[in-house]
Amino acid sequence: MLALGAVGLAAALTAAAFVAPGRVAAAAATYVPSDAAQVIATVPMRDPSEVAARRALGEAPERVELAVELARADIERYRVLSDPRYLGRAQATLARWWTLAEPPPEVLLLRATIEQAVHQFPEARADLDRLVRLRPDDAQAHLTRAVVATITADYAAARDSCQATARLASAVVAATCAAPLDAIAGKADDAYRRLAGLLGAARGDPPVRGWALTALAELAYMRGDTDAAQAHLGVALALDPDDVYARNLLADLRMATGHSAEASRMLAGREQIDSHLVRRAIAEHELHGPDAAPLIAAMRERLAAAAERGDRIHLREEARFALAVELDADRAVRLARANWSVQKELADARLLAEAALAAGDREAAAPVLAWARTTGVHDVTLDRFLARLVTR
Amino acid sequence: MTDPTSPATPRAMPDPMNAPTRRPTTYPINRPAHCPMNGRIARSTICVKLPTTAARALTVAVFAICGLAASPAWAHKPSDAHLRLEADGSMLVGRLDIAVRDLDGALGIDGDGNGEVTWGELSAAAPRIADYAQHRLALAADGAPCAVQLGSAALAELSDGAYWALPVSARCTHEPRSIEIAYSLLFDIDSMHRGLAHVAGQTVILRDARPVRIALGDATSSGSFVKEGVWHIWMGIDHILFLMCLILPAVFQRRTQRWSAADSLRDVCKEVFEIVTAFTLAHSITLVISAVGLVSLPSRAVETAIALSVVAAALNNLLRTIDARWAVAFALGLLHGFGFSSVLIDLGLPSRELIGALLGFNLGVELGQAAIVCALLPVLFWIRRTLAYQALLWAGSGAVAIIATLWSFQRFAA
Repeated sequence: MLALGAVGLAAALTAAAFVAPGRVAAAAATYVPSDAAQVIATVPMRDPSEVAARRALGEAPERVELAVELARADIERYRVLSDPRYLGRAQATLARWWTLAEPPPEVLLLRATIEQAVHQFPEARADLDRLVRLRPDDAQAHLTRAVVATITADYAAARDSCQATARLASAVVAATCAAPLDAIAGKADDAYRRLAGLLGAARGDPPVRGWALTALAELAYMRGDTDAAQAHLGVALALDPDDVYARNLLADLRMATGHSAEASRMLAGREQIDSHLVRRAIAEHELHGPDAAPLIAAMRERLAAAAERGDRIHLREEARFALAVELDADRAVRLARANWSVQKELADARLLAEAALAAGDREAAAPVLAWARTTGVHDVTLDRFLARLVTR
Repeated sequence: MTDPTSPATPRAMPDPMNAPTRRPTTYPINRPAHCPMNGRIARSTICVKLPTTAARALTVAVFAICGLAASPAWAHKPSDAHLRLEADGSMLVGRLDIAVRDLDGALGIDGDGNGEVTWGELSAAAPRIADYAQHRLALAADGAPCAVQLGSAALAELSDGAYWALPVSARCTHEPRSIEIAYSLLFDIDSMHRGLAHVAGQTVILRDARPVRIALGDATSSGSFVKEGVWHIWMGIDHILFLMCLILPAVFQRRTQRWSAADSLRDVCKEVFEIVTAFTLAHSITLVISAVGLVSLPSRAVETAIALSVVAAALNNLLRTIDARWAVAFALGLLHGFGFSSVLIDLGLPSRELIGALLGFNLGVELGQAAIVCALLPVLFWIRRTLAYQALLWAGSGAVAIIATLWSFQRFAA
């Protein structure tokens, strides 16, 4: 027995010596290419006018209008490509004014936009409040303010800004702004009818239509009409295949209606975007597909990299991943609660309710129960979770 | 009319606190990690991990089989650079990995502006890159500047693409007790860039050009691993009770169908030695394989199983099911090793002298164990014929069985 045990220990130590150096903080292996023509990285193509503007800004750094144009271009790139490096670039372009309490109004708007994109909602809201006081007729400022206020459940402020857009922008924009507010107040049916009617009548710019169609789809989903929701999102994606929000929502709908294979297919090839990767990983995991293992590994790597640099990346997505793939309901609840403290959209409410149900922790869902009671929201999915939670 | 802002797609949220992330090295009493009365530690699910290089090879093979569509393209993530440093006497050695994409943003590597950086363009830019990095990285040892030298670079592939891997070496005036890093790459073109300094088993986030000091001595030394081992077993009531249940009957042995007090201390010692050695070997094996991550079990299952093992040992005393208690010690001792390893992982395993740390911790556990056994065994032998011993054996085992059953429920339900 002694001999056997000793042999076992020796074997364990040998195995440990082999494994451990690889496990403990290894740097990635290096290589040297042999072919000078081999492409190492793809980078943004250089736009001559942008290069000239940057040079001019370098020579005269106080020229805020140049900085604003350059930053706006980078934010637009972020919107199209969902690549967060462009946000960092935009912020760096505005560095000279970034820490000012009262920067120029154009900078205020861009600063609020960047803050909102990295979930610094209180800061974004402060900037936007200031901006609408300075420029009460700025439609974009009101719209952004309405979006941030809706996310942080300040519905009074959101309504104010939506009403401002009613007189400053088109009826479709105003209706789309107000749609989530009406829906959360329990009037999803009315909001749906109004918005559908407006969209049918007016054409509108494709970006506006896409955004309105997505809002319409969310209303339909709330009412339990998943077919209509998927149809609207199909049109939105036809208008803009790179619409990350619409694609995510459609994938979620497909998974909710039992078509995970469809969801996986429509996200394939887009996994560089984290919110797409997590959904595809969940879908493939449910399907027990061959791609499940590398996708899950990639997602874990992304989460680890974000944690390493101190970002709480996509708390919502991280909670969903913990719930659906890691099968760690307690961790999912913790993440969902942390997420709820940052943003309070319907998706966040559904997530916290679902996680609390899975963990058998009714207490954890108390904020959502309170929110649902206060707002009077009626959502087929959320109601189902809450009903089961309450009867436990 | 301008475009409406699309609803917030969740994005990275920078950490508002400027605190470096560190592994905790506090004493066990401050940690919920292995308090037997407490609930669970959040840990990973059951898996068997392959060594890193093998795992990478496997992943690549899977990608090739599934086709290009399955392999995630380079991730869209915020900008990071990695600086790895180790002290080697009075030298600092390591590597600085900078994303090629970021270098293009800073220096304009893409000569023909076609949106692709080739190896030729990159090699041609090597001197400029070295110059760029040299002027933006300063190292010091306890405040005294070190002369930084950059070697000839290669490439490394990370999740978001190719990185320029620059070997870094710095000659310092003495063997450092702490390192200061002043890092200012890329912040002027990307405010969300982060330098990640991997030093002494910690990762420190560099978010601006202010110098950051990292103490090297904070890494747990071999000697203190021994102390941690001793401390941990003394704090581990469940481990001690398990062992006690097994050795308690040693002074009261079965002989010719009747139980009676043992005559020879030497026989008793031999039996106890067998039991303790079996327990030691078993938990050493699982401690080692679990601490390096070869096998990784959910903590709730481990803690519950350890509590149940204490119940089993106590019941065995009452029901006399298995006389060869060394076998019980070995079989159930395997579980206890998993419990120890979570502590060891929290302490942070050093990359150098890893085996030393493992053996040191294990040695500490054995010493602590031996101290308890050597203190109690003579007492037990002395009282073996008394009523007090009978009470201890029967009522004590019964009480332990009940307590450990309660623990099992607590840990399972936690």
